[in-house]
Amino acid sequence: MSQIGSFALLLALALSAYSFLAGSLALFQKSSATDRLGETARRAGIATFAAVLLAAVVLVVAAFTNDFSIAYIYHHSNRDLPGPYKFAALWSGQEGSLLFWSLLLASYGLVLRLRHKTDTRLFAYASAIIAGVQVFFLLLLNFAAPPFGVMQGSLPADGTGLNPLLQYPEMVIHPPMLYLGYVGFTVPFAFALGALIMKYPGEKWIHITRRWTMVTWGFLTCGIFLGAHWAYSVLGWGGYWAWDPVENASLLPWLTGTAFLHSVMMQEKRGMLKVWNVWLIFTTFLLSILGTFLTRSGVVNSVHAFAQSSIGNWFLWFMAIVFAACLYFYWKNRSHLASEHKLESLVSRESSFLFNNLLFLVACFAVLWGTLFPILSEWVEGHKITVGPPFFNRVMIPIALLLILLTALGPLLAWRKTSLESIRRNFLWPSVGALAVAVLLMLMPSRWGTPFGMKPWQEISSLYALMAIALSALVAFTVISEFVRGGRVIRRHTGRNLFSSMVQLGHRNTRRYGGYIVHFGVIVIVIGLSGTAFNQNKEKEMGFGDRMNIGPYSLVCRSYTQDDNPNYASEWAIIDVSKNGKPLTTMYPERRFYKASEQTSTIVANHSTLQEDLYLVYEGQNQDTGRPVIKVHLNPLVMWIWIGVWIIIVGTILALVPNAPAPVRVASPAPAREPEPEPIGAGN
Amino acid sequence: MNPTLPLWIICALITLGTVFYVFYLPGELHLGPRKSRLAFLRERKDVVYENLRDLNFEYSAGKFPDSDYRSMKASLEEEAASLLAEISRLENAFPDSIRANKGVRF
Repeated sequence: MSQIGSFALLLALALSAYSFLAGSLALFQKSSATDRLGETARRAGIATFAAVLLAAVVLVVAAFTNDFSIAYIYHHSNRDLPGPYKFAALWSGQEGSLLFWSLLLASYGLVLRLRHKTDTRLFAYASAIIAGVQVFFLLLLNFAAPPFGVMQGSLPADGTGLNPLLQYPEMVIHPPMLYLGYVGFTVPFAFALGALIMKYPGEKWIHITRRWTMVTWGFLTCGIFLGAHWAYSVLGWGGYWAWDPVENASLLPWLTGTAFLHSVMMQEKRGMLKVWNVWLIFTTFLLSILGTFLTRSGVVNSVHAFAQSSIGNWFLWFMAIVFAACLYFYWKNRSHLASEHKLESLVSRESSFLFNNLLFLVACFAVLWGTLFPILSEWVEGHKITVGPPFFNRVMIPIALLLILLTALGPLLAWRKTSLESIRRNFLWPSVGALAVAVLLMLMPSRWGTPFGMKPWQEISSLYALMAIALSALVAFTVISEFVRGGRVIRRHTGRNLFSSMVQLGHRNTRRYGGYIVHFGVIVIVIGLSGTAFNQNKEKEMGFGDRMNIGPYSLVCRSYTQDDNPNYASEWAIIDVSKNGKPLTTMYPERRFYKASEQTSTIVANHSTLQEDLYLVYEGQNQDTGRPVIKVHLNPLVMWIWIGVWIIIVGTILALVPNAPAPVRVASPAPAREPEPEPIGAGN
Repeated sequence: MNPTLPLWIICALITLGTVFYVFYLPGELHLGPRKSRLAFLRERKDVVYENLRDLNFEYSAGKFPDSDYRSMKASLEEEAASLLAEISRLENAFPDSIRANKGVRF
């Protein structure tokens, strides 16, 4: 079995190397004789997918057939592991996750190569670049982290099992989502670099890659929030985001990718920010590689890093080579990226995009700095200094608030320049509405589980929460006003009712209105995050009938017990919960001991409502009394975060749907009487 | 029989199949047209028209006062007009190539 896997990986390496070399040769040797060479390169790229898929299938089959002669299966699976987790073993360790990276890249490459007729030459460049990236990962898989290494000595009877933290349903989909995001940024990167190398005339490459970028961004967003939900449900510390290095690593390409999604609109619409955009996507790709490096190399300590090894140098060299290639082609062809227009006014949609991009970049730099600070401090001072959540919160919260403000302002500003009258028209009512929300939040009587009765002058966390909710209200009002105004125009033309007109509006410009729905999802998440300011927790040893009160909830320990199955032994408490004196539910916080790996894991009991989460953790038993220690967290508004993610998914899907025909037609302008031969844009 | 022989045969067959797929290229290749200056200008024209449509729509929605609208519209129309002029000049200069739908490289 392992021989076929190893063979498939060697074959894949040979094919991708051929695809890269022959593809590059065909593109740089500009003659018709090389067209057939280019076609063989494309086919080699397609065949790479089949070879990598074969290797992945072999590894999964080995997991399901308990083939412990393969060291990777021995270390990441065991006989009693449930089926879905055996499948998840493919990405649970370093070698497998690199194979999975390679498989996803080959899959993206397959789709790209099958769609080459869209623009044969541009796709050929992108295909060669993707093959180059593929070569790197296959070199790693063949020589640095081979997944089909065999066990030495006698064959073990059982494996050591999967890390207990990974034995959770979300871990079956969280890593694939995150990896689809990481790997997916290779595609817009390849198109951007290819377009730069060939001096592609115009911005069509952005149009071609728009859906790739949005799909990738959507996957990465889902991956990040699935990771947050997993951390919330499994790690048992009561939170979902701890500014852990691996969490940050996933956030870095998301920040620059989000900036890219916004700034490419300026290039498409106005032919501006070309240099900025290519470097944004180059940076996003490099940060994706950095993210994989941080997750897999073990250079930083993380609860999410499930592998440690010496492959770090490979990644560093690869990033250096990619950066050098980007820099070389940028320098060589920089004249191709000349802007077609200049910024005309600081109060315009262009400038709002520019400020939005700058804020994303500052946020990215701050997160990168905080993440790499332990490594940098070790180089400089000889010992690791870690910056924790206080640093990140101090820097990131003000940046996030400014970004929300820009999210509200941007759509209401006009391209080129916006007059004072225009600002008054568009901002007056949303601003009044947001102000009213802020005043209401302060004046309403304080009530547990709601953001009412805030006193922002007393605590900085309250001030931030109030600003976050008020600015979110501003965004909500601007989004609603955009839908209502647009809907009214459609209603005038079609005679339909307003709601139906707004639905039609969404179909007519899916990108814009899908984007607004994404913005709406973001502010729902922000409201959820602002609930952190009001978190509470308590811990108590609870015997039979013992009671603990927190907020409006009363918890009584009915019983505590133990269980055993082939995979794990567990102990849990049975807690009866009442709210304001009325019986509500029964909760079962649990702690498991996994036999194969001899590790423990927490299974949180969570009663989640729109208002708050009642979150119980079985901390363990008091060794003297044998009674369970229960920790309870009361976390307001957490459910809003997960709802916001669903709204983002809906918005992203809408933005991916092609537009219906435009409702308002524009007559073609008459040609100028005196033709002006002045070249427009980059077509040369 | 050598126990690894079937594996060797499987690997050899996979390799042969792959080589055949990659290097056997029957018939004509789809190369597609090379992108011309004219195609680029037409793309730009479509973008400017789309910008005009957006502007008209936003004006109809009451987002801009008349003065802003007129100024932005004039600016976009000027851009569209110069694009149309260059498209027209190229179409007149290379009518045969355009009719043959091959595009013209500059």
